[in-house]
Amino acid sequence: MSSFATILHKDLRLELRGGQSTITLNILSLLILTVLTFALDAPSRSSLLAAGALWVAMIFAGLAGATQAMVSEWENECIRCLLLSPADRGAIYAAKLVASFIFMTVAQITSLFLMVFFFDLNFDMRIVRLAPVLMMGAMGFASLTTLLAAIQAQIKTGELLLPLLTVPVFIPALISGVKATQAALAGLPFAGFAQWLKILGACDLLFLAGGYLLFEQVVSED
Amino acid sequence: MNTAQLEARQVSKIFGVLPVLRCIDLRVNRGEGALIVGRNGSGKSTLMRILAGLSRPSSGQALLFGEPAHSLGPQQRCRISLVSHRSFLYPRLTARENLEFYARLYRVTDYQYVVEKLLDRVGLGSFADEPVFAFSRGMEQRLTIARSMMTEPEVLVMDEPFAALDAEGIDIAAELVRDALQRGCAVVMTAHDPHQLRHLAFISYSLENGRLVMAHFGSDSEGRKPRPAAAG
Repeated sequence: MSSFATILHKDLRLELRGGQSTITLNILSLLILTVLTFALDAPSRSSLLAAGALWVAMIFAGLAGATQAMVSEWENECIRCLLLSPADRGAIYAAKLVASFIFMTVAQITSLFLMVFFFDLNFDMRIVRLAPVLMMGAMGFASLTTLLAAIQAQIKTGELLLPLLTVPVFIPALISGVKATQAALAGLPFAGFAQWLKILGACDLLFLAGGYLLFEQVVSED
Repeated sequence: MNTAQLEARQVSKIFGVLPVLRCIDLRVNRGEGALIVGRNGSGKSTLMRILAGLSRPSSGQALLFGEPAHSLGPQQRCRISLVSHRSFLYPRLTARENLEFYARLYRVTDYQYVVEKLLDRVGLGSFADEPVFAFSRGMEQRLTIARSMMTEPEVLVMDEPFAALDAEGIDIAAELVRDALQRGCAVVMTAHDPHQLRHLAFISYSLENGRLVMAHFGSDSEGRKPRPAAAG
């Protein structure tokens, strides 16, 4: 088993045992979508609002839950032992990223069902078209927060760092994601929101490359 | 000339404007043990982290197998093991799962047998399937020592490994360290109480005001004499 698979297997086992990430993500998503549903005027509910609500739920729930795989490594300073091990730093980052991505995807599936229910939408091809948009959003968000969670963990008073840095940096991806979601929910074909998907893809690549290249610097001591 | 397994050459470390380590020289060859004692805050843990390659010195060099400790490749990293103040254990995994995780990471062959043997050796065989969060501090420390021995390292860096251990735990840990020394492992260790190590033939040093000086606590009486060249 490769280092990547070994670390990912451990993270998934920890999650199955405690459910810290997925439970946090799902409960927060439910809470946010419920609040937004009641806050928004019922007659004005539409796919436009649904798209916004879905991404708000993803961002705020993600900030609390998606970083658990990384944060757990700072408990008992396990990250130091990982860094001393023969595991490649890139493999450590990739395993943490994939774990966060899986946790977010699970939460997104729940959010999607809740959104359809709360916003009186139908389960049809529009929902299927959302899959790549949401997966790309989750990938970008997971790759960014995995790196920023590692920075936060290194700084003793850095609790506010994650939300303060994540939201502004993620804004281009967020706008693209919301626009692509709106288009998909409005029933447009892929070509209708391809440009937003391209921007989202470019953001993902940037976050992935940045995370991969900077991870070693971030987790190393002076 | 025989290459030292572990070597510090004029290692200094400064945090901000505060010098913690000043021109430390230390050399540990195969099968040798070095004991470093010092008060709280004397810089022992900082030195251990530098020697293990986790932290860079502000000046000077820390070498493992003749190469800079902080830039070892994966193959070289397989040859060292660190026991730190923190256990490096995942609280929600069981003792067995923790050891098996690290064994897979280090590609230990026949790891299930190795893990089983080590758990028995440190007296945790009957707690193998208990989660680590349920362990006492002493049990956690025993498991930490088992983890560090699992890969049969060539260099063992141990920061107060006997802390929190009871008398039986100290004897078990000392026996594992002795086995490692006989295997040719180079061991460097810190301790508050050097008398806990009276059964181990270690060269003793004291870390005072950031400098490493030769020391004698009676622990060398059964073994070798201190090497004058090593004092910083």
